[in-house]
Amino acid sequence: MPYQLVTIIVTLASHLLVLVYYLIRMAGMLQDGELVESQVFILWAIVIGATIVITIVSIILTTILLSIVRAVKTGTVEEDHFIVDERDKLIDLKGERVSYVAFSFGVFLSMLAFVLDQPPLVMFSLLILAGILGGISGNISKLYYYRRGA
Amino acid sequence: MVKSQVQNNIRILRFHHDEMTQEQLAQKVGVTRQTIIAIEGAKYSPSLELAFRIAGVFGVPLEEVFIYTPEDMSV
Repeated sequence: MPYQLVTIIVTLASHLLVLVYYLIRMAGMLQDGELVESQVFILWAIVIGATIVITIVSIILTTILLSIVRAVKTGTVEEDHFIVDERDKLIDLKGERVSYVAFSFGVFLSMLAFVLDQPPLVMFSLLILAGILGGISGNISKLYYYRRGA
Repeated sequence: MVKSQVQNNIRILRFHHDEMTQEQLAQKVGVTRQTIIAIEGAKYSPSLELAFRIAGVFGVPLEEVFIYTPEDMSV
């Protein structure tokens, strides 16, 4: 499997992991009756921090693992497999565009919730959810573009 | 699958160059093998620079590698 594809799958998996954590925490808060300000903002910090840390660490580990596997398979250390060419960059840009569109839609929905007299915490919760879903949709679209060609 | 309007003869040219592998061609032009696969399958139209590099590897003019078929002429 190409390096770029593995990286996308790893990033997608880490985003999904964060989404599951977010949904569990939100469900817990909603079961208790209401969104608590301090907990929502702690959740914000955890989600943003975890997304960055998990993604970086998992990509580093994947790169190391892939290098080892390739070195064992071929018997040589080749850096050619980590080339990012014009097609990779194009797919990356297309994926980012999908991600931004999904996030913008989420921001719009969260503002709509604010307009519809929902408490500000609902808006903040929807904002962070839009961020996670934007990342996931961006990665899924990258996978799609890789399968399609570009 | 979306097919590009830019068709190519890369497979034939590789065959005529001692059955050059996709990996070898990819290394010579500085892209990944997946990009060569996508170009060969007409799923991706390369940049002009990459197209010239591919033609350069085979030592033929660009038009012998890539053929542009306008939409209204394609089958």
